Amino acid sequence: MKKFFRFSLVLIMALALFAPTASFAQETIRVGIILPISGGQASFGEIEKNSFDIAMEEINGSGGINGKKIEFLYEDDTGRPDVARSAAEKLINKDKVAMLGGGYGSSETMAIAGVAQQNRMPFLINTGSDDKITEKGWDFVFRLNPYASEYFKGLESFLTEVVKPQTCAILYENTNFGTSQSKAFATACERLGIKVVMTEGYEKGGVDFKPLLINVKKANPDLIYMISYLMDASLLMRQSMELQLNPKMFIGGGAGFTLPEFPDNAGKASEKVMSVTLWYQSLPYPGALDYFTKYKERFKKNTEYHGAEAYSAAYVIADVLKRAKSLSPDDIKEALLATDMKTCFGPVKFVKVGDKINQNVLPTYVMQWIDGKGELVWPKEGAGKPYVYPVNWQKEWK
Amino acid sequence: MGNTFNWRKIPWAKVLSVAFLVLFPLLVDSDYYRHLFIIALMWVVIGSSWNLLSGYTGQVSFGHAIFFGVGAYTAGLFTTKLSMSAWWGMLLGGPVSLLVGIVIGWICFRLRGPYFALATIAIGEIFRQVAENWISFTEGMQGILIIQTFRSKIPYYYLALGLAIACVGTIALVLRSKWGFYFIAIREDQDAAEALGISSYRYKSLSLMISSFFTGLAGAFYMNYMAFIDPQVVFSLHYISIMAILVGIIGGVGTIWGPAVGAFIMVLLQETFRSSFYGLVPRWVSEAHVLVFGLLVIFVIRYMANGMVGDWPKIQQLWSRPKAVSSPSVSGN
Repeated sequence: MKKFFRFSLVLIMALALFAPTASFAQETIRVGIILPISGGQASFGEIEKNSFDIAMEEINGSGGINGKKIEFLYEDDTGRPDVARSAAEKLINKDKVAMLGGGYGSSETMAIAGVAQQNRMPFLINTGSDDKITEKGWDFVFRLNPYASEYFKGLESFLTEVVKPQTCAILYENTNFGTSQSKAFATACERLGIKVVMTEGYEKGGVDFKPLLINVKKANPDLIYMISYLMDASLLMRQSMELQLNPKMFIGGGAGFTLPEFPDNAGKASEKVMSVTLWYQSLPYPGALDYFTKYKERFKKNTEYHGAEAYSAAYVIADVLKRAKSLSPDDIKEALLATDMKTCFGPVKFVKVGDKINQNVLPTYVMQWIDGKGELVWPKEGAGKPYVYPVNWQKEWK
Repeated sequence: MGNTFNWRKIPWAKVLSVAFLVLFPLLVDSDYYRHLFIIALMWVVIGSSWNLLSGYTGQVSFGHAIFFGVGAYTAGLFTTKLSMSAWWGMLLGGPVSLLVGIVIGWICFRLRGPYFALATIAIGEIFRQVAENWISFTEGMQGILIIQTFRSKIPYYYLALGLAIACVGTIALVLRSKWGFYFIAIREDQDAAEALGISSYRYKSLSLMISSFFTGLAGAFYMNYMAFIDPQVVFSLHYISIMAILVGIIGGVGTIWGPAVGAFIMVLLQETFRSSFYGLVPRWVSEAHVLVFGLLVIFVIRYMANGMVGDWPKIQQLWSRPKAVSSPSVSGN
């Protein structure tokens, strides 16, 4: 009898776990946001989550979605595609969200997009940039940010007009984002007549890049293009300084090279390093500078393009939910398709480009770390400061 | 279990657990919990396979990701390279993994104790590096993406359950056969076993073959179910190889049901932490999940060296009578 009692106690506890969660007040519309909040890419997740939070408060402060409040439910993908998949399953099936947003790493975004499409759940990607994600013909998946092979479009004219390199070395972290961008950049180099003397992937989260960088030094390229997340970006530059590499220019492919933590970690090795970027606060987009100052005031830290992507995605989501005839996935999808709005990240419209569908198209830019500050330097028209070139690295690194 | 039927001898807890698992997807109408249980059942397979090799045969493997990854890639590459259904790949995932197991056994069973464990770590890393860098064959870090066959979770659930029952059942049968006694003899004292005429190389290999076969099937199932793999997921030392060990240790090394219990505990605990106890606690708590797993393992090793199942009598005594006599240890090592 006692045994039976104990057994039923366990059973009751187990069933309690599966009890439907208390339904929230009818006045909120819930949107699931999947970001890397812990793990190796947490700094990106943090800047994006903070930006989503600012936007959520503003949207709710100014009337919400047709009188209802919007609520972002954050899920942590820990930087792993399988966890991202579980998170998407949870948001769709347990939390019954109206749509999905977020998506940082390309592999995680791909996994989420697969679940979203299969469940016919609209998903607005704000960062995951592997070209293939919007090439699958998945009609419920939309992407706000440019795709990986567009990241350096703004850089191309800078290379042909200013640096005019003959040779180039490409170092990339061996991830989905790294491989797809490095491939595209190598093709672009060929087109621009730049000889790629070295293309080398490395294991992310490396502790010593010297063997790799010594080979770069031997190859002595005019241009070193690196695609890395934060810690690797900092270490690559610090060790390049130690080994006294001397290319005409170091250029990062976005990601780690634009974060405000990059100069903190790399110190003077970050000085005058360039990176492609997707956004800058001085760009003539409505609310860009406003968002930048708000972020800085509240979190005592600078923000950059990842934050702007998230902040704008929040506004696109709000706009879509306002316009949707109902909160059914199909109506939300229709509303997404009809999107035509100006955000602080640039104009947003989902179109077909080549093989890609539901893809937003935006220009990209070049930034440079000048005196510890990230400055937009190219194209000249939007530049906040003139670019510094040529650079005497030995002098910068003294 | 005797040959004469005696209803008192029926292990009710086990029968009821299995019945609960069979009825679960019908009782719980939530794809999210079905998903968690599918993952847990997959871990039952991996954990039990690990346990056969490491818990019963004494050959501690830190490289079960090898078999898991090989199984997953077999299924994935079948689909992408040959445009065949990944289900054919699933059938092949086990055998291909078994072949890899034979080769690894051929090399590694010349080593003993810690050297075998170290070799499995090294081979696991080799497989991951190869999968990451042999881009023309494996797609490298871009991974393999397929589209799931079923939208519903139920077919996957019963497939996972079938796999888990087949795996645990096979292992239980093997352990009752002559092979099982040879495995344990090798674990207890390899030299003594050799002296009795047991070919330790042959039986260690047999144990590894069964283990790699089922782990490979689990990997191929993972490919079919998750529909996305990349080398850092399926060949992961941390998330597959170590997790397999944790599942075994928490549940009970050298017990048939241990890894099954361990798998459910680990998967549900992990998800509870990831979702910050379903939003009940602040986010920073969930970031401490690695620490909590560490403490849990220390606790289990210190106070329940035989795991939840192996030390179940101990736990029961704690529960009913505080002044318990220490229970006899179930298995040595």
